[in-house]
Amino acid sequence: MLEIENLKTNFNTYDGVVKALDGVNLKIEDGEIFGLVGETGSGKSVTCYSALKLLPKAGEVVDGSIKLNGEDITNASDERLREIRGGEIGIIFQDPLSALNPVMTVNEQIGEILVLHQNAELQKLALEKEIPTFKSEKWKASPGVEFTIMAFCISFISLFVMLGQWRFSLPFLFVIMLMFLRDYLQRDNPASALDLMVIDALSRVKLPNPEQIANSYPHELSGGMQQRVMIAMALAGKAKMLIADEPTTALDVTIQAQILQLIKDIQKEENMSVLLITHDLGVVAETCEKVAVMYKGKIVEQATVEEIFSNPKNDYTKGLLEAIPKGGKERLKVPNLEETSVL
Amino acid sequence: MKEILKLKNLKKHFPVKNSWGTDVALVKALDGVDLKIESGKTFGIVGESGCGKTTLMRTLLRLVEPTSGSVILSEEITGNNFSSKNLEELTSEELRNFRKQIGVVFQDPMGALNPRMLIKDIVSEPLVIHGKTDNVRSRVIELLENVGLGEEHLYRYPHEFSGGQRQRIVIARALALDPKILVLDEPTSALDVSVQAQILNLLNDLQKKYDLTYIFISHDLSVIEYMCDRLAVMYLGRVVEEADTDELFSNPQHPYTKALLSATPSFDKNKDKIMILGDVPSPINYLDESKAKLATEITEQEKLEISAIEGKGIDYIVRSSLNEVIPLVQISDGHYARVRQQ
Repeated sequence: MLEIENLKTNFNTYDGVVKALDGVNLKIEDGEIFGLVGETGSGKSVTCYSALKLLPKAGEVVDGSIKLNGEDITNASDERLREIRGGEIGIIFQDPLSALNPVMTVNEQIGEILVLHQNAELQKLALEKEIPTFKSEKWKASPGVEFTIMAFCISFISLFVMLGQWRFSLPFLFVIMLMFLRDYLQRDNPASALDLMVIDALSRVKLPNPEQIANSYPHELSGGMQQRVMIAMALAGKAKMLIADEPTTALDVTIQAQILQLIKDIQKEENMSVLLITHDLGVVAETCEKVAVMYKGKIVEQATVEEIFSNPKNDYTKGLLEAIPKGGKERLKVPNLEETSVL
Repeated sequence: MKEILKLKNLKKHFPVKNSWGTDVALVKALDGVDLKIESGKTFGIVGESGCGKTTLMRTLLRLVEPTSGSVILSEEITGNNFSSKNLEELTSEELRNFRKQIGVVFQDPMGALNPRMLIKDIVSEPLVIHGKTDNVRSRVIELLENVGLGEEHLYRYPHEFSGGQRQRIVIARALALDPKILVLDEPTSALDVSVQAQILNLLNDLQKKYDLTYIFISHDLSVIEYMCDRLAVMYLGRVVEEADTDELFSNPQHPYTKALLSATPSFDKNKDKIMILGDVPSPINYLDESKAKLATEITEQEKLEISAIEGKGIDYIVRSSLNEVIPLVQISDGHYARVRQQ
């Protein structure tokens, strides 16, 4: 599915060049959950941003190749990359509240992805059901606009009443009446194809009342719901691969278990590949099939999950596993990073 | 077994006001917490976000006033040889004395350190405030050496240190006045596992050296199991289970404790899984009778999740079933839980 060969990424800073990635080799097969573990600054996230060309200005990929389904995307055009991001590869970030746009409803945010990546599907659905494609016929403005209209109408009414010309206030009264009756008047108007697909995307991630959630803003949802919306967004473009960058770090353990279960279920249903980036070895043990351990911009060990936890080969991996408290009160072993073989 | 602190039916309710300024609801952040904290031991508090862990810590420090109930200090803290005292009744002079006895370490060390102050000023600030101005420099160096730093770090700023070193500085500052109690609010959740191991070892060493009492708040059960002697599990402002750590981990009674223990990711793939379904409930209690009680019926979200995991052999607990208030009963010696008696 995704093949990364000898990837080297540098960051140019005032203090010199930081070699964030120093020859990373990764191969993610179709339909597997692949874990990428490492500590802060080891280059986990940079690996995924380099693969998608999402690096900040200071970062540049200096060497290596990235292949997606056999196609070399190392030097792909911006247009092709836009197709890939959100289309073939969906991404979930750590903190859902900062990844979601606070001034757009869930409906608008997922709709954006559907319009960009699923336009053909949308047109087909609209033709089949004979409903409008994008905009529902229902008239509804944002709360701010509605408030402004209402305020204008009321001020004009009071102005004309004060002037003794109450007849002129009648049209404004009519507008206010229409606003109150709006929902009743347009009760039979059909939802658009876009609305239907958004609701479909939301119900795939097991969200209750998808119609209601589609019309709410991110801050109105709980942390677990926000992360579910993020997953729905990542999957909306019919992604074949999901990159999850610390998807559960901001969540409580019980909610974390729910989200991991959801990711596992969806992966199985749609036979996707998942690249799970995390610093929590327990999460990896529970979800992944294969795992790679990163340290200082290199992959120091790569194996199946059973192997890495029962028989770690690399000194750094061993140290990392020993540093986790596992019952018992003996003194924790602190990995002596300066003496490990990777340096 | 000597108590150093005792919480008696502690309640803290925050009012929720509507736009007219009248109270419409109460957030019961703490709703009748009874705890006894033993001297020289580590007492752990676990629970999810919004369950009242932090409010408990703040009431302990008297940063917020409790709605009702009391914190009773033993003579060890009050310094009086004969009497224990209620935290609320302390005069301002006594409160200053009390604050000397209790140190705090917060979750995010960068947020707890003033970025424009030198390390020597940060660590010596409590000494200066409490008037212990002789030999400040040697005392600061001693404190830094206690936590594995040294004299060469005196004239540096917080940003020049790594996350683990910053947490060490915060610990050094908390120890500056020789406190009896150290409140640790998620001290390692911002750190990597290898650094976490260093900090936990350091905390254990310091406890032995100075005979400190720790109140350890965390959501990481492996850390809690390693550090704590006794443990209280909180849910929606109440303690739902309290026991010695070994007993609680081997014989959990409350359904939430069971789910929490099994939700923690572990290396053991064959472990029995109990999923907890549904979303974290809102702790708001409406004063209006019709909305007053937290819903105990199965919600839409839970129905969906049940249908999703059906037939996969996963045990589950529905979160709305936990909203009911059940009195605390004794399971065995020193083990209490809010479960129905058979």
